[in-house]
Amino acid sequence: MEYNLEVINLTKNYQDFHLQQINIKLPKGKIIGLIGENGSGKTTTIKSILNLMTYDKGNIKIFGKDSRNLTKQEREKIGVVLDDSFFSPILNVNDINKLMKDFYSNWNEKFYYETIKKFKIPDNKPLKEFSSGMKMKIKVLCAIAHEPKLLILDEPTNGLDPIFRYEIVELFNNFVSNGENSILMTTHITSDLEHLADEVIFINDGNIILDVLKDKIDSEYGIVELLENNFNNIKKEDYLKCLKYKNEWYILVNPKYEFQKKYPKLKVRKPNLEELMLLLVKGE
Amino acid sequence: MNTIKGLLLKDLYVFRNFKGNIIFSAFMFIFLITIGSIRMDMFTVGSILFLIFFGMNSISSFSYDENADLDKYLLSLPITKKEIVLSKYLFVFLNSFISILVGILVSFIITILVKGKVGNIGDSLRICFIAFTSVSFLMCANVPCIYKWGVEKGRMQSVIIPALFIFLLGIFGSLLLLLFPQIYLNIDLLYVFKISPYICLILNILFYIISYLISYKIFLNKSI
Repeated sequence: MEYNLEVINLTKNYQDFHLQQINIKLPKGKIIGLIGENGSGKTTTIKSILNLMTYDKGNIKIFGKDSRNLTKQEREKIGVVLDDSFFSPILNVNDINKLMKDFYSNWNEKFYYETIKKFKIPDNKPLKEFSSGMKMKIKVLCAIAHEPKLLILDEPTNGLDPIFRYEIVELFNNFVSNGENSILMTTHITSDLEHLADEVIFINDGNIILDVLKDKIDSEYGIVELLENNFNNIKKEDYLKCLKYKNEWYILVNPKYEFQKKYPKLKVRKPNLEELMLLLVKGE
Repeated sequence: MNTIKGLLLKDLYVFRNFKGNIIFSAFMFIFLITIGSIRMDMFTVGSILFLIFFGMNSISSFSYDENADLDKYLLSLPITKKEIVLSKYLFVFLNSFISILVGILVSFIITILVKGKVGNIGDSLRICFIAFTSVSFLMCANVPCIYKWGVEKGRMQSVIIPALFIFLLGIFGSLLLLLFPQIYLNIDLLYVFKISPYICLILNILFYIISYLISYKIFLNKSI
């Protein structure tokens, strides 16, 4: 299998935080979602991949090459959205187009303006007059208008309304549909990944606690909702995690068909990513 | 080369934000120069006014970048740290250079219009060049401070470091005169003034190269 991005045993130590042995393998044509609480290590991982910070151990390969030794042409094949960093808010979309034309040799001006029109973004107003959703649209557009092969997106759906989130999910799905392009995205809006990600990686406190194919979550993991007295009848070894919420117990099971065999009367349903994250992080 | 052009353009767009202030100030300066030129036939004061007011404005481009956390974004594009630092120095230099050039032109024209003549052009240009070099020194001392501490946090250091440098230079000069008073007697100040453009040229080159190297090293080791 060919990978557009490989993160191997990435380790970074701060005084009060340790990112430990992060491994990500992003094949061509796939989307990986990186999820976790604030401060779990997602941004540190992204920054390391983008060479914005040094790391203590490990190796990062982009297009099969050490990410620190990429040429300008190779770096042009990467598109990036950063949640907290972009051009000065006094610029407008025309200014940004002029700058990006200078930064990228294959900047697609036609696509840029067509999408500006499609997204109904005003071209004469400075960014400071845009809503956060509008700003994010521009950021996403800047990340894809130079026809990259790898997208690295930090919270790309932050501040977007559901309609644009739907549009953007479509945009990303189209992007990878050629089987050559890939996306690594972090998000805390886990519902976006339900329709988008092929693989989901949970990071908690600097460690990967779950790295699983999305299809596997649907087919193997299950959630059972129980009242207190029913919960007491379940053996500890039959579930992964449990969490009490408003007088009800939620238990995470895997594989769900084995649990179902043992407890045929209990209803096991598919977990969504938010529940999975909550149970893995907060569950006992 | 295109990348540097784009980075310069980005800094130039910042000025558009306060073009009203720039136009108002320019008119105010033109008025002051006109009044001043009734008494003086040199165009130095107006030129220096333009240089100090407009030439040092380039620091605000750092401020806009810092507020948008732009370096992080730029470095995720196919742009290197070297290009970012180089473009900043080019911007600082071009901004000062164009400011004094415009200042000289405006003052010269006004003086001719009001007085009908200008005094010693060579001497005036020498004074302008000395002023330009002084501003270069201040800017070249400021930029590494900004890279090290940021615009806001580095504000104090940007004042203290050049002031300290001038203070130490003053002490060194005084000691030199105390120990070797004959040096002072042998210096032909008129000759020094005559060759000042060459001295200024060398100083400008030195200031910019040393400052660029320091800033680049700071930026290279900085976690973004």
